[in-house]
Amino acid sequence: MPILDVHNIEKHFGATRVLDDISFSLEAGQALAIIGSSGSGKTTLLRCLNFLEKPNGGTIAVRDKVIFDAADPATQRPADIREKRLHFGLVFQNFNLFPQYTALQNVTLSLHLRDKEDAAGRRAGKDRHKAAIDQRGLELLAQMGLSDRAGHYPHQLSGGQQQRVAIARALALQPDVLCFDEPTSALDPELTGEVLKVIRGLAQQHTTMIIVTHEMAFARDVADQVIFMDGGVIVEQGPAQQVIEHPAQERTRQFLSRYAEN
Amino acid sequence: MLSFFSSDVFRTVVGALNTGFLQTLRLFAVTLAGAIPLGLLISFGSMSRWAPLGFLCAEGQHPVLRAIWGFRPVSALCRLLVWVIRGTPLMLQLIIIFFIPGMILDSGSPWPGGESGRFLAAAIAFILNYACYFSEIYRGGIQSVPLGQQEAGLVLGMTRSQIFFKVTLLQMVKRIIPPMSNEIITLVKDTSIARIISLQEVIWAGYAFMKGSHGYSGLWWPLLFTGIYYLIFNGALTLFFGWVERRLDYFR
Ligand SMILES: Nc1ncnc2c1ncn2[C@@H]1O[C@H](COP(=O)(O)OP(=O)(O)OP(=O)(O)O)[C@@H](O)[C@H]1O
Ligand SMILES: [Mg+2]
Repeated sequence: MPILDVHNIEKHFGATRVLDDISFSLEAGQALAIIGSSGSGKTTLLRCLNFLEKPNGGTIAVRDKVIFDAADPATQRPADIREKRLHFGLVFQNFNLFPQYTALQNVTLSLHLRDKEDAAGRRAGKDRHKAAIDQRGLELLAQMGLSDRAGHYPHQLSGGQQQRVAIARALALQPDVLCFDEPTSALDPELTGEVLKVIRGLAQQHTTMIIVTHEMAFARDVADQVIFMDGGVIVEQGPAQQVIEHPAQERTRQFLSRYAEN
Repeated sequence: MLSFFSSDVFRTVVGALNTGFLQTLRLFAVTLAGAIPLGLLISFGSMSRWAPLGFLCAEGQHPVLRAIWGFRPVSALCRLLVWVIRGTPLMLQLIIIFFIPGMILDSGSPWPGGESGRFLAAAIAFILNYACYFSEIYRGGIQSVPLGQQEAGLVLGMTRSQIFFKVTLLQMVKRIIPPMSNEIITLVKDTSIARIISLQEVIWAGYAFMKGSHGYSGLWWPLLFTGIYYLIFNGALTLFFGWVERRLDYFR
């Protein structure tokens, strides 16, 4: 049973069609890489999954439950969207860490806020909760290799460290599917390695992931499936090794050859 | 020299100036207390996207039609207010608010007689004027916080108000402290404009000794002396804002 089912997603901005008939599914524990040239709609697709954009057509189902159907307003109630967002996590290209919070506070903020909402009714055991949340935050930072950076503010961290904090922050709410939008594109080349290594580690632990990336070797080695997008449509999808090493479509071949050259 | 500072005339002048400066401080405090929240309201108003006819907008429509249907009345009204208030002198606004109602209303001036009426009129003019300046500073502050901060909050399942109070607000405050401290120091000095309707603030009190007050006349130094009050108070404000800025230095 796939954990995520995306059907016929369509999105336009004004008259421009940015996504057209996007369909794919993802098994639990698998990693999906999305590749494609600039402007092909990769970011928009991730934003649709995270309810930052509203698709004009199509459905999104998580664990066989339809959480969005463009044709059914009952699935689009603003009051429910907040909860539905929690099925997905999103790691941004430019991190978007909260500058006024330390690495640990960035990771735990959402957990503390949720706990406060829950605890509004029952006050007891609040301090224990707080300690447990901070403990969980420290574990996530340790997993990212950042144990010694918990008390640092974002501006005191390198780009690679900031992005790893952002990954820990996205993991804190235990999303069903963790999405990455070009997680290493804003980094100096010497810093991409440490971030890719962390994502590789998540793949080995069977975290369900969708990774938009321009790192072809990484996509081939880490992803189970690869989707190649161009002009808002899926041109080719299949097992990672096959799509990247033996693409069936001419457009995919052209796209990949640009990466082979340099 | 020392005997001057213990003379009767000096003590009388300082007493009168203290009373005047107290009125200055009162106008300053009331203006801040009113303009800081009112400014926030006006800045939200001018950013309002409410367009009652917006549903008539359609793709491919003529731009003129789009502009008509997309008209945002709240935003337009707030921007008009800010334009008028910032485009005319505070002194003129004060004169209009204090004198004009009495001329056009059959019931006469709505302001209570004496100093309390002058203070009320001055407070209203100052609050309105400074709220408009503050609103533009707030708007700049809010819009300077990157959209990605909000989106990061949304993706983490936060509500709009959690995002505002836990994520955006402090970043906005940090950015508006320098322009706000400029405006607030200007406000301290601007309170002297209320003299135009004879509010008995510190400059009024100093000037009175030139014309004749408390049995003295032709004294010019009390007026110069008022400058010391402003200097000391603005010095304290500068120290305070410097302290606040340093408190927020821990993040960028
Ligand atoms: N808010 C928007 N309004 C109008 N057009 C938009 C908007 N967001 C994206 N687009 C357009 O949609 C298209 C796809 O954009 P998108 O950012 O999804 O591409 P991408 O594949 O992520 O590209 P890149 O590799 O450069 O990040 C582009 O042509 C872009 O100009
Ligand atoms: Mg993109």
